[in-house]
Amino acid sequence: MVKLKFVKLITVARKAGTVTRRYPFEGPLLTEEFRGEVRLDPEKCIGCGACTIICPPNALTLHDEGEVRVIRYFVGRCIFCGMCAEVCPTQAITITKEFELAAPTTEQLLRDLVHERVKCRICGKPFLPAKLLKAANSDVPGSENYIDICPECRIKIGLKSILEHKLG
Amino acid sequence: MWVFHLNSGSCNGCDIEVLDALTPYFDVERFGIKLVASPRHADVVLFTGPITRETLPKVVRALRAMPRPRMVLAIGSCAVGGGIWHDSYNVIGGYPALEKILKKEGIVIDKVVFVPGCPARPEAIIYGVLVMLGVVEPKSKREVYKVESK
Repeated sequence: MVKLKFVKLITVARKAGTVTRRYPFEGPLLTEEFRGEVRLDPEKCIGCGACTIICPPNALTLHDEGEVRVIRYFVGRCIFCGMCAEVCPTQAITITKEFELAAPTTEQLLRDLVHERVKCRICGKPFLPAKLLKAANSDVPGSENYIDICPECRIKIGLKSILEHKLG
Repeated sequence: MWVFHLNSGSCNGCDIEVLDALTPYFDVERFGIKLVASPRHADVVLFTGPITRETLPKVVRALRAMPRPRMVLAIGSCAVGGGIWHDSYNVIGGYPALEKILKKEGIVIDKVVFVPGCPARPEAIIYGVLVMLGVVEPKSKREVYKVESK
């Protein structure tokens, strides 16, 4: 009786065959819709920070530190929703199929994009990345006159001109 | 390598993926990995979840019960960096925040490997295990790009 059961098991096992994936030695099972790590293209990125606002877990963060603007991508917090790629105005963010991201330190999971900020012509304070200024003012006629002046200085100039006009 | 599965307030997504990695389909027993029911028997903790305040004392107790060398495999974006709950009031915020608390308690963790993913794929977990065992070099590196402003 026991012998018969064993034979039955063999036939069941033969029917199923081997199902185990030999993963490290063969390719992973990736579907077309699979979303992995996102990649920021340093040539297309203008540093507007739209992705950092939409990002649900704040994996993409924006830091204005001195003369540079850093867009930091922390893969460890990313939930791979792909909303940043949708919202990017220049299509600088692409979704890759990379998922082998394991690392022994969190430091290794950071990707930085460093933009240099333009210095204000009047007060000398850095304010926005050059690419962003160019992209935002590309279809504004006459913007060359004030493109390298920071918003605060622009307000001051505007107020001054109004006062001069009003007071004569 | 004997592993113990420790859930610290995870949404069960990563737990299902851990379970998936243990099934015959991915079969981690190929690498000599076996699931055990007690942290006292375990070499590695499969750590999931962002560590809620409620689970913190239990997590500390479970990690203290482990024999040296203790190793932790932090699975999923919650365990790695807090995930979408990284700034929530009732959440400690992933393994990096727990590490400070463990240092205060005097619990030494010998090796940590972070496996990002929401949830992490079974393949990603296997890759994390291979990184922990030193079979493969981790692919991901700190990258800093400078944008050239023309």
